[in-house]
Amino acid sequence: MYLPVDTRSHSQVTGIHLIHSAVHDPATAESRLVDITLREVVELVRIDLPEDQMEPLLERGLLPGCQLCQVRRSPSGDPIVMVDGTLLAIRHEVARCLCVRRPGSNGA
Amino acid sequence: MSVCEAPRIQRRLIRRGLSLAPLSDPSCHPGAEDDVLPADRPNAEIIPLVALVGPPNSGKSTLFNQLTGLRQKVANYPGVTVEKHVGTVRLPDHRALQLVDLPGTNGFAARSMDERITRDVLEGHVRGLRAPDALVLIVDSTRLEPQLMLVEPTLKLGIPTLLVLNMADELEQRGGAVRDDELAERLGVNVVRTNARDGDGLDQVRDFLIGVADRGLLPPRPCPALSNVVTSTPLPMVDQFTERRRRIKEISRASGFVLPRSSQLTERLDSLFLHRVWGPLIFLAVVVLVFQSIFTWAVPLMDGVHILVAGSGAWVAERLPDSWLRGLLIDGVWAGVGSVVVFLPQILVLFLFLGLLEDSGYMARAAVIADRTMYRVGLQGRAFLPLMSGYACAIPAILAARTVEDERDRLATIFVTPFMTCSARLPVYALLIAAFIPERRLVGPFLGTRAATLLGLYILGALTAIATAAILRRTLLRGPRDSFFMELPPYRIPSVRSIAIRLYDRSRIFLRRAGTIILAVAIVLWFLTQVPQSGGSPPSIDDSLIGRMGQMIEPAIRPLGFDWTIGVGLISALAAREVIIGTLGTLYHVEDPTQGSLQLQDALRGHLDLGAAVGLLVFFAFALQCTSTVAVMRRETAGWKWPVLQFGYMLTLAYGFAFIANWLI
Repeated sequence: MYLPVDTRSHSQVTGIHLIHSAVHDPATAESRLVDITLREVVELVRIDLPEDQMEPLLERGLLPGCQLCQVRRSPSGDPIVMVDGTLLAIRHEVARCLCVRRPGSNGA
Repeated sequence: MSVCEAPRIQRRLIRRGLSLAPLSDPSCHPGAEDDVLPADRPNAEIIPLVALVGPPNSGKSTLFNQLTGLRQKVANYPGVTVEKHVGTVRLPDHRALQLVDLPGTNGFAARSMDERITRDVLEGHVRGLRAPDALVLIVDSTRLEPQLMLVEPTLKLGIPTLLVLNMADELEQRGGAVRDDELAERLGVNVVRTNARDGDGLDQVRDFLIGVADRGLLPPRPCPALSNVVTSTPLPMVDQFTERRRRIKEISRASGFVLPRSSQLTERLDSLFLHRVWGPLIFLAVVVLVFQSIFTWAVPLMDGVHILVAGSGAWVAERLPDSWLRGLLIDGVWAGVGSVVVFLPQILVLFLFLGLLEDSGYMARAAVIADRTMYRVGLQGRAFLPLMSGYACAIPAILAARTVEDERDRLATIFVTPFMTCSARLPVYALLIAAFIPERRLVGPFLGTRAATLLGLYILGALTAIATAAILRRTLLRGPRDSFFMELPPYRIPSVRSIAIRLYDRSRIFLRRAGTIILAVAIVLWFLTQVPQSGGSPPSIDDSLIGRMGQMIEPAIRPLGFDWTIGVGLISALAAREVIIGTLGTLYHVEDPTQGSLQLQDALRGHLDLGAAVGLLVFFAFALQCTSTVAVMRRETAGWKWPVLQFGYMLTLAYGFAFIANWLI
């Protein structure tokens, strides 16, 4: 969709969904970034997006294992998060794909 | 036309070396003159090339400007630089180096056009530009860890690299720290701290450049292909990034990096500007303030310019004998050029506000506030910033859309950009509004009828842009909606120097246009009003050559309520929109020289009724009367299809709505 040089296969992209869809379980301590209260520091567990949409987030340090904190919501309700000193405005469609857990919890 | 159009354009652009030729018309684009490639200069001495690379908004262009003395645009939001700019650095010992400023990039996936330019320059794939002999990697030290992610792929190029920790003062002020010597040792590169805005630390950067000059040119070599993936092991992308992040984290910890506290100023201002209720209200208030001040603040300055122009015209007229030369100078040049120059203060007020909004960091917040609308339309939120810069001029705005990653999004963005009211429309609007709209207060002292009309025209342009984008994204440019996210820079106090430079550059561009295009049109028009002479005296304006030519096209514009003078004005406005004012200034002055040279408003009222005046305003809001925009569109889409479609679409809208306005009112 972006560049002709992108040679990743489609199965690789969809594979991410397949692997992780089983983990989305309310019994674990994981939740989505949209469901986290303001000012709460959480750890990013994974990003449920195809690789090409995930890469810009990874480049900016929004990586599994990083600590992030939703500092406020924009007037339209989209989250604004702080990651490693950078403020990022994210659409809530993307925030729904960010799987996070509270530090200290064991997660999955 | 199909959905597959977008990738095809991308491939064409890539084949053509990403359209890196210098701009065809630098008139709206300060600094474009500096875009000349070394290969385009015959007999250019081959000197080492140093590339400035780093994440967006880390201060590359600020450092570039400081080192070269050039004036590339800088502002406080990511994605200001979308083109490579080459400049020369003179070292203290008079040796010279070439420095290339590159669009910011967070990695080397090169998803967007601007990121591809950066990658191509670094890999040495740009015609006329040698592969860099050294790199200056500049990062924002307040956000050190994510920014250092660029180090590993950059070092893969295997050329001398200097790591510049910029905004070091801000790091310290907010309680952050890092030991550069440790960082240098662990990363294996030289590290310096700078504060490029104030020029601190530049000497150390120059020391590095002296070293580069001592070493001279690097021998030609195969450049490794840059990519985000730096290891040869076939790990999934996420793991590659996580691994690299872990290594960077270790290095930064060992170098004593302390993350600075978040900026208190930014937190306080954001809680206001991004407040659920106050945020949008303040956004609205800011916009109203800008338009009201265009009409109130600028007036005393405009009166001043008016007095200068009228006074100098009278002075010249008194000293010249009554000859054709006096006619040419007074009726042609003074009436034509003078009537445009008086609008300079209004343009400067607009640029002052745009500059303050961009440099303070507010513009990025405005993008966040507008994002939901952009989403519904189907545009990327990031497209908001190019669209906003369209208020200055469509040409840099179309280039700025290179930061929009998805090709269909980018095409939709640049297609609708000319609907954003560029500053060349402002004098035309201001003139017609002043002539036809009486000033009355609407909302207390805050908003008058004239400012409201102007605001209405800007809103009309923006709404049409949005509607057009929505249609395009559902028809010709259908595609998935992209996920928006945007970095919000900390608020910074705009630097007086940066704003002053912008106003100065804008004045230069405006006056240069007045002194070239508008002057030339005024002179040609004046001659056309003087022929054919009968018995040694000029004809009446209706019988003159221009009058006859105008009357030939009059039937086409009659339905809009325009007479032939407006028709001639519209055709001359194809060179640049504000030329119509100069044209009308010349035509009406020749028609009735008893009028003061700048009584254009009275003359206009004699030629247009209210309906036709509104029609003319609407025509200007919609029509693509700008050959430079068409040329840039052709270049950025690698073909004629989009510019032709755009021109036809905008002309149809302009004609249709002007007709309706004239018919209704």
